[in-house]
Parts: sequence; structure tokens; C-alpha cells
Amino acid sequence: MGCSQHIDATSVTEAISILQSQGDKAVLVAGGTDLVGMLNNRLISPETLVNIKTIPGMDYIREYSGGLRIGALTRIRDIETSAIIREYFPVLAEAAVSVGSPQIRRMGTLGGNFCQEVRCWYYRRSPATGKTFTCYRKGGNVCYATSGDNRYHSVIGGKKCFAACPSDMAVALASLHAHATLAGASGTRSVPVEDFFIPLGNILKPGEMLTEVSIPALKPGSRQKFLKFRHRKTIDFALCSVASVLEVEAGVVADASLVLGGVAPFPYRAKAAEQVLKGQPLTEDLASEAGAAALRAARPLSLNAYKVTIGRVLVKRAILGVDM
Amino acid sequence: MKQRVTLNINGTEEEVYAEPWWSLAQVLREEFGLGGTKIACNTGDCGACTVLLDGKAVRSCLILAVKAQGRKVVTIEGLRGKDGGLHPLQQAFMEHFAVQCGYCTPGMILTAKSLLDENPAPTEEEVREGMSGNLCRCTGYAKIVEAVMAASARMRGEHR
Ligand SMILES: Cc1cc2nc3c(=O)[nH]c(=O)nc-3n(C[C@@H](O)[C@@H](O)[C@H](O)COP(=O)(O)OP(=O)(O)OC[C@H]3O[C@@H](n4cnc5c(N)ncnc54)[C@H](O)[C@@H]3O)c2cc1C
Ligand code: FES
Ligand code: FES
Repeated sequence: MGCSQHIDATSVTEAISILQSQGDKAVLVAGGTDLVGMLNNRLISPETLVNIKTIPGMDYIREYSGGLRIGALTRIRDIETSAIIREYFPVLAEAAVSVGSPQIRRMGTLGGNFCQEVRCWYYRRSPATGKTFTCYRKGGNVCYATSGDNRYHSVIGGKKCFAACPSDMAVALASLHAHATLAGASGTRSVPVEDFFIPLGNILKPGEMLTEVSIPALKPGSRQKFLKFRHRKTIDFALCSVASVLEVEAGVVADASLVLGGVAPFPYRAKAAEQVLKGQPLTEDLASEAGAAALRAARPLSLNAYKVTIGRVLVKRAILGVDM
Repeated sequence: MKQRVTLNINGTEEEVYAEPWWSLAQVLREEFGLGGTKIACNTGDCGACTVLLDGKAVRSCLILAVKAQGRKVVTIEGLRGKDGGLHPLQQAFMEHFAVQCGYCTPGMILTAKSLLDENPAPTEEEVREGMSGNLCRCTGYAKIVEAVMAASARMRGEHR
């Protein structure tokens, strides 16, 4: 293992300049809940660990003209318990509670949640077990899931890699039309949360880091719901999840935002389902129709067609605001 | 390159030279011989490696040892009752048969300790939620929850 130093960064500029000068030999560590497990399993062996928890002023939840700005170092636990988020953006609080376990939420940060590695069991197979799968993500030219055990992989949007995006926070934040702020040596840029993720990772360029996620103002009274289907009630990733934000006026859907997790390499915006809902009276039949539309683009692999069935039902329930 | 880390372990000031990628769990076990801290998954899933860091339950397999610089660590070896004997939680785990193979037990007890420090009179539901990050492959959890409830009552002076 080549890892030779651990640096406590004191500013975003410092962290970025280390990333720039060392390229992929340096990695950022925030809460470490994903990264240290990767180190323990020898899945990565960076030369430099850059601790960003020591950067002041990146841990905040701040209101601005009806919207919210959340610093990348904000812990999942603080998002889960924030009074503002619980009241105005409950879909985000519900997603936060569903992450991992209480200890993971106390350590894990929002930035790390976005940038965590996928949970594909081929990719995560520890070399310590004597076998590795050199897949696309590791520079190979095959995705072992396409011909192997793909029960937890994507049913929509896989390209080269079929691993599903593991982040619950991104699903809820995409449904709120949030943007991620990325900082690099030449300044910052802002991208919609759903565009941050791509099948082989994310759009961060070498030397860039995530500094903030901002949620625009929302009309008061929107109906929000986050539903997550998983094997275990706790410490488990989504097999399928749905975040829905609906504006309903006099029983008619004025606006709808529907995003699915666990089914694609990115938070999947179900545009067809949003179109089905808009301008229509909200009924159980309409919700079913939207559920079917949400998964119409799905092309399941050999073992994961069940995600389509679950997804349809979750979308319907989220729209109707009922629990699992 | 190893870095010098000074930390307080179970009340004693200690010093260790740790590689930057070493976890606190590994250092506790291998450099200090404190085998009560278990490593099972080594990825944060199970909670067997739970210790108290500045009084709060954390997964020591996910904490880099260098990040424990200047901090206070309590492992199961350092947990004591007021009289220096077994802590009420340890006592209750024995009395309620909340231990089978025992591998999860140190993590369970330290998670419960942190929980009861924050909330001395939890409901059963709150105990289940607070302990939800710790896996036990043997007991089925019912006895563990009973033991934590009993210890919390005893610590509040409600029994005996
Ligand atoms: C047992 C367990 C269960 C889990 N369950 C869930 C779950 O149900 N849902 C879910 O969404 N997640 C889950 N997770 C993933 C969990 O690690 C994240 O939720 C957590 O928020 C990661 O944050 P962190 O600060 O610990 O990240 P770290 O481990 O510090 O970092 C993760 C990655 O992100 C990079 N990174 C960190 N911050 C930044 C930044 N600001 N800019 C650029 N790159 C950055 C790091 O370099 C690293 O590659 C689980 C993890 C474990 C161990
Ligand atoms: S060994 Fe640390 S959580 Fe399992
Ligand atoms: S007693 Fe065996 S794992 Fe809990």
C-alpha cells in the first residue's frame, strides 16, 4: 500500500490545489464512512488522504429567499433533524432518516453521500479475497453484472457500467430541483443534481470538489414523499426508491416532480410520469397510470425485472402520499 | 509514512505511530492488544467495532487512527460501574442472557451506553432505533433490548 500521508486541509483552495498537483494519487476524506471501508478492503490505495472535515464554514443549513443552501460537510444526521428541512422539505428529511444507521448518519456528510462509490458486488470485491473483477470502473472493458448476478443493478440508463446510484440524498434533492456547486481552480460551476451522476461515476473533473447543494424556493403546501424499498429496515441501500413533490390545487395536479433511486446509475427523473400527472385531477387511477409511465423506459437485466414491479407501486403510493 | 498520534485510551494517555490509512479499530486491537473491540465487516455495516470517542458511540473501523489525535477513546475493557466492578449494562446483558457467541456484545453495550447517556429513560422503540445499526447473528435482539431497558431502569435507581 502506497498511502504515505494524511493532510488536514484548512480551505477549499488548499484541498483543490492538492488534488490538482497530485491527480488521482490524492483522495478527499470527509466523514470517511465510505472511504475508510474502501481502504480497509484495499480497493483503493491513494498516496495522500486529504481530510476536508478540517475546512471551516462548510457545515451549514442556511435559508435564502425561500430556498436552502446546504454545505457539503453537513452531516446526514443534521439534515434529518433540521427543523426547517422537516417543515418545508420533508422529502429530504425522510430520505436522510433512511440512510444507513444512526452512527453512519452522524459521521457521513452530504458531499460524501453524493460522491460515494457504487455498491456493485463485483466492483466492491476485496482483492484481499484473492479475486478481483477488473470492470469498466477499474479500467477494464466489461461489466460483470450484465452476464452475472445483476439483481441489484440498474434497469434504466446503464451504459458500460450497470451499477445503481447508491445515494438516497441525491434522489430527494433532485426531486426538489436542487443544484450542486462544484469548485475547481478556475472558479465554481453549478449543475442540476440529477446531471451530477453518470454511469461511470460523476462529472467532477480532476481537481474539483463539491462544496454546496442549493434548493430553490418551493410553493408552500406542496405534497412531498420519499419511499424506499429495501431488504432490511435499517442499514440497507434502496432496491428502489421514489421522491415525489406535487403541487395540487383544488384536487388538480398543477406541477409534479418524480425521481426514482436504485434503478439507474443516476437519480432517474420520470418525465413521462410527470407529464401524465400535470393538469389532471389526482385520483388513484391517475397515480397508477403515472406508476406505469415512470418505468416504461426500463430494460431489466436477467435478474432484476422485479424492480420494475416495485417501482410502479412505489410511484403510485408516493403520489397518493401513503406509507409503505 | 507513520504519524505520531497521542490519544487517551480508557483513561491513560497513550502514544502510537500509525500509518495514515490504519483504522482506529486496527490500532486498538493490534497496537494496544485491546481485543474486546471486534472487527467483523470492516466496512461500517455491523457495529461490532463500536467504541466511545469523546463519549459518543462510533464505528472504529471507519475512523482513521490519525483522526483520533487528542481524543478520548473508551473500549469495552475500559467500561466500569461506579464501584469499579461491572457496569449495569454489562450486568444486565449477563442476567438477561443477551449474549450468545458474544461477538456483537462489546459493540452492543457501548452503543447502549452512548444511547443511555443521551436519553436515560428511553422507550423500547427508542432503544430499538438507537441500536438499529448493530447486527447480532445469534440472539434475535429481544434479549438485548430487554437488557438495555433493565439497565436503564437500574441506572435510574428504579430497581434494587
Ligand atoms: C453500513 C453503511 C450503510 C450505508 N447506507 C446508506 C444508505 O442507506 N443510503 C445512502 O445514501 N448511503 C449509505 N451509505 C453511504 C454513506 O457512506 C454515505 O451516506 C455518507 O454520507 C458518505 O459521507 P462521508 O462523509 O462519510 O463520505 P467519505 O467516506 O468521506 O467520502 C466518500 C467519497 O466521496 C468523496 N468526497 C467526500 N466529500 C467530497 C466533496 N465535498 N467533494 C468531492 N468528493 C468528496 C471522497 O473522496 C470519497 O471518494 C452507507 C454506508 C455504510 C458504511
Ligand atoms: S467491523 Fe466496524 S462496523 Fe463492522
Ligand atoms: S451474540 Fe453472537 S452475534 Fe450477537
